[in-house]
Amino acid sequence: MAMLEIKDLHAAVEGEEILKGINLTINAGEVHAIMGPNGSGKSTLSKVLAGHEGYEVTGGQVLFEGRDLLELAPEERAREGVFLGFQYPVEIPGVANTYFLKAAVNAIRKHRGESEIDAMEFLKLIRDRMKMVKMDEALFKRPVNEGFSGGEKKRNEIFQMAVLEPKLAILDETDSGLDIDALRSVSEGVNALRDPERSFLLITHYQRLLNYIQPDFVHVLVKGQIVKSGGKELAQELEQSGYALFEENAA
Amino acid sequence: MSAVVESTSVYLQDFRSRSVDEPAWLAERREAGIQAFEALGLPHRRMEAWRNLKLGLLGQEHFAAADALGAVPMALAPTAALVPEAWRLVFVDGHLSPGHAAVDALPKGVTVRPLREALAQDAELLETHLGRHAELDAHPFAALNSAFWADGALIDVAPGTVLDAPVVLVFLSSESSAHRASYPRVLVRAGESAEFRIAQIHAGPDNLPYFVAPVTEIVAEANSSVQLHHVQEEGDSAYHLGLVHADLARDARLHLHGFNDGGKVGRTDIYVNLAGEGADARLDGLYLVGDGQYADYHTWVRHQSGHCTSQQLFKGVLSGKAESVFDGLIHVHKGAQKTDSQQQNRNLLLSPRALTHSNPRLEIYADDVKCAHGSTVGELDRDALFYLRSRGVGENDARGLLTFAFANEMLQPIGIEALRDHVGQRLAAFMPGDATVKELL
Repeated sequence: MAMLEIKDLHAAVEGEEILKGINLTINAGEVHAIMGPNGSGKSTLSKVLAGHEGYEVTGGQVLFEGRDLLELAPEERAREGVFLGFQYPVEIPGVANTYFLKAAVNAIRKHRGESEIDAMEFLKLIRDRMKMVKMDEALFKRPVNEGFSGGEKKRNEIFQMAVLEPKLAILDETDSGLDIDALRSVSEGVNALRDPERSFLLITHYQRLLNYIQPDFVHVLVKGQIVKSGGKELAQELEQSGYALFEENAA
Repeated sequence: MSAVVESTSVYLQDFRSRSVDEPAWLAERREAGIQAFEALGLPHRRMEAWRNLKLGLLGQEHFAAADALGAVPMALAPTAALVPEAWRLVFVDGHLSPGHAAVDALPKGVTVRPLREALAQDAELLETHLGRHAELDAHPFAALNSAFWADGALIDVAPGTVLDAPVVLVFLSSESSAHRASYPRVLVRAGESAEFRIAQIHAGPDNLPYFVAPVTEIVAEANSSVQLHHVQEEGDSAYHLGLVHADLARDARLHLHGFNDGGKVGRTDIYVNLAGEGADARLDGLYLVGDGQYADYHTWVRHQSGHCTSQQLFKGVLSGKAESVFDGLIHVHKGAQKTDSQQQNRNLLLSPRALTHSNPRLEIYADDVKCAHGSTVGELDRDALFYLRSRGVGENDARGLLTFAFANEMLQPIGIEALRDHVGQRLAAFMPGDATVKELL
């Protein structure tokens, strides 16, 4: 059984149709990259998969491990193992990263019928994962993303992913706006978490990310549809030709 | 019922029927109080500063002054003992509860005394200050307090004295206070360069219509520093309509922190006169307003001299069919150059039925000043909610976390640790979310 099956997915924002029939299957352990120009619907796809209320599904189906994903609330999707790394992580002044993450870890454990994590175990987990993504320990005590640089915010997303250990991680333009050092450590974090049981959907605007994370499949999204799919060599092709060719084909 | 609106009020009749033996100066000030009330009457919609307040029962029935000490309600025993390391006076229904008092071993030059005792022992100080600061012409209930106060506290700290423990004044209402009024009265004098913290705590039982109208006068002499934590946790059917007045001399500092989490109607008017150069006033307030409650802070900050600073930050969280008012005045007198004054009011509505009024008022008669104000009303941020939920946090818990995030800023300035913990617990009880999330905070 596929981990994620997207079948003819249509979605609209404020009445305007953005996704116009997406089909995509992701198996366990695979890394897929979706590339596309601005406005092609990349972020919409990620938000729809995570359950943002501002996006209306107007047709199609999404199955996660054979279950209807779209009928679940955002928190239920997370507890089932879907993780969305935000393009623009939200700042939450007044709530320390540590409280927030402990609440998240416990919500997921409760869902699995496990007991609450004890303080020592939590601390150990946090330290381990912070090392994995090379995150500064001081950031962990600070309010969620408040005053973080762009790179720190993205690193925090990868850190949270590492702590929550999802089955499917959707990373929405996690590479955008990062300088090369931040990009490297974000990529190393992702690579460290690659696992035969874990799948990734990388949404990106830039081919550069794929120099650091080798995808199994690359898809080109234009005007709400996947117009071409291939192996990682497709990314290089895009690098040379740009999206223009695909946009013409789509039109 | 109609008695209340007759040409002489039932309150005047109460006043005339008292038999008291008090010094002439005090009798005069009480008379001035009842006359001020007679001139004003109970507030009504045409009084600008009172137009949002719905008097309800208080306007329909006669709340006579409680004439005896009541018992501390069982449920409020912990409130009476809040902040263990403190000098303490506890009053029930406006009368001193001697068994709860803890004012031994005060440093030299420091007086913490029931007002009634102070009348004998500190007559001169009282005659000089008591009722000479609070303004009665805009606050009918402060006027009633001046006429009827039975007891309260005098806090007098000698020049240069720094108190390491806070003074805690607890004003409770008893189970037998239904349809009764109490009028706690507090006078605080800070001598030159004196420094201390006070907590003034009001609480009472739920499901009981009673009325409390406290008045606190603060005289802060040059370079003194006074922190006042004003906590209103009255029962859910109570009317609490109080006033705090502070006069600040040169370089004096006042930090007033209000917490309003009770009462059917809770209003506190805060008057601060920055009378001497270099004085500084910081007013903070947090109001948590539940279904059917009304909360109101009115501030009157007057910059009367140059080089004074003031900062006001009031935050409110409203749920259900709650209503709140923040009405804040910054008045910069002619010649009060180099004034630096800020005022912020932020409101979080957890329910579409909640209603909040935010009314900043700036009156500036000097030309070289910095004055800033702002007010916001909003709901929980949708993107932040989605962010938390996308990590597995349930919707209600996410709402709780974000409510905490909004209000938390107002806990930090509470300069008495035990009180800060207490307010934190009250906030946790108020906010949405389950116990597991609240334990984290």
